[in-house]
Amino acid sequence: MTSKIILLVEDNPNDEALTIRAFKKNGIANEIVVARDGVEALDYLFAMGRFTDRIVAEAPALTLLDLNLPKIGGLEVLKRIRADERTKCLPVVILTSSDEETDLMKGYDSGANSYVRKPIEFLQFVAAIQQVGLYWLVLNEPVPPIRVPTR
Amino acid sequence: MLPDGLITADGGPNYASAILNILEDAADEHVRLKESQRAVLNILDDFTDERRRLDATQRAVLNILEDSNEEKLRAAGTQRAVLNILDDFADERTRRDATQKAVLNILEDSHAEQLRLADAQRAVLNILDDFEIEKSNVERINIELRNEVAERVRAEESLQRANAAADEANQELEAFSYSVAHDLRAPLRSIDGFSLALLEDYADSLDDTAKTYFGHVREAAQHMARLIDDLLSLSRVTRAELNRSRIDLAAVARDVIAQLQRDEPDRAVDLIAPTSLLAHGDVKLVKVALTNLLGNAWKFTGKTADARIELGEILESGHPVYFIRDNGAGFDMAYADKLFEVFQRLHTVTEFEGTGVGLATVQRVIRRHGGRIWAEGAVGRGATFYFTIKEGA
Repeated sequence: MTSKIILLVEDNPNDEALTIRAFKKNGIANEIVVARDGVEALDYLFAMGRFTDRIVAEAPALTLLDLNLPKIGGLEVLKRIRADERTKCLPVVILTSSDEETDLMKGYDSGANSYVRKPIEFLQFVAAIQQVGLYWLVLNEPVPPIRVPTR
Repeated sequence: MLPDGLITADGGPNYASAILNILEDAADEHVRLKESQRAVLNILDDFTDERRRLDATQRAVLNILEDSNEEKLRAAGTQRAVLNILDDFADERTRRDATQKAVLNILEDSHAEQLRLADAQRAVLNILDDFEIEKSNVERINIELRNEVAERVRAEESLQRANAAADEANQELEAFSYSVAHDLRAPLRSIDGFSLALLEDYADSLDDTAKTYFGHVREAAQHMARLIDDLLSLSRVTRAELNRSRIDLAAVARDVIAQLQRDEPDRAVDLIAPTSLLAHGDVKLVKVALTNLLGNAWKFTGKTADARIELGEILESGHPVYFIRDNGAGFDMAYADKLFEVFQRLHTVTEFEGTGVGLATVQRVIRRHGGRIWAEGAVGRGATFYFTIKEGA
């Protein structure tokens, strides 16, 4: 279970702290990698920048993606994930404040697997994280690992 | 008996002497005859001459007579000619009279014509006058039209500017709403989340008063979150495009009540609704309205035993009026007009939770559908909200 990495793409440090707390509250002890903007998220996923040592094939089991991000927005990050052979099947859940219809539509259009609005009341937030974690990390059968040709 | 000399001496006829005598006599006779013949011939000759003369005379007479006849015919002809001429002359005169009359008539007509012509001329002059007036009118109207066109162009330009401003304002409103949706909510999540974190992680260090205060902080944050959500919903109701279709109000009501029941499984509320209740409206907006109305009914029956919510339809002048009735807390009719104002509440938050935005949102939904909404109620005896949805518009 711990081998399944969660990528949390979140620019708000408070939300980051609360999200990590919510996972802990639910006893989900998976490693959580935090990317604080769109560029960091793509660097991590495609082993670039400060993540060059990473192996792309070891993709996160779940990516929680905020929409309003500095530099490269959440939707653009999602489109690039879907456009790349190595990451196109990655489970991506949009976790954001907005429940604007346009955001929902754009989110699904860009290839989101799920769209969850962050509840304000923390206990509800914990409940939401619990369900998301349980579903994607436990219940859902992931795509078999991509075989990268050995160099 | 034969004459004596011709009797012979013996007494018999003397034939020889008789024949001689006869011959002699015959010769004499012959001479006489010849003479007579001559005379007759002479006479005949004379007579022929005479006859010729007579013929000539006769011819002359005849000629004369012929001439005379011709003369007479000529005279008659002349007479007839004269008569004809006279006749002709009479005809001519008649004709002349007619001509004269005709001429007179023509002259009269011509006079009348002249009068008419004068009239016509006057009329034409009047028309020309009128035309002149008309022309100046037209020129004036043209100027007015040009001014009006210029004004319209200006109005159009100002309308375009206003539209552009409205578009800009809308975009700003969109941006504002978006910002409210995202950016105002995040701090509230922190306030609530970290307050709870303090309560959980530092429960031992906090006394009861501190815990109560943190409870208030959390309640306030949550209330503000609801306010933001309700205001966003109100703003969306105004901004959203209206797409009408057939909508079953009863089905929507059952969904809404089912959701409310999931949120508060301990509540027991009886929903009375027809199998289907069709209306023609925007599905999303009507859902927003029904969610608010049924949410209110659910909320205000929270302290009522045998809570009952009824959805139905009555006819008013042949048009459907929908209603949602509850047997909850009700309200004082004196404040009925305040019900639909934003932030107006008839109950304190401690009595019944609420933001005072819900019914304002419902009213906007109904108004956008060209309908009306009004309420009847009495304190402690429930409330009925009536609304119409303009058909087929």
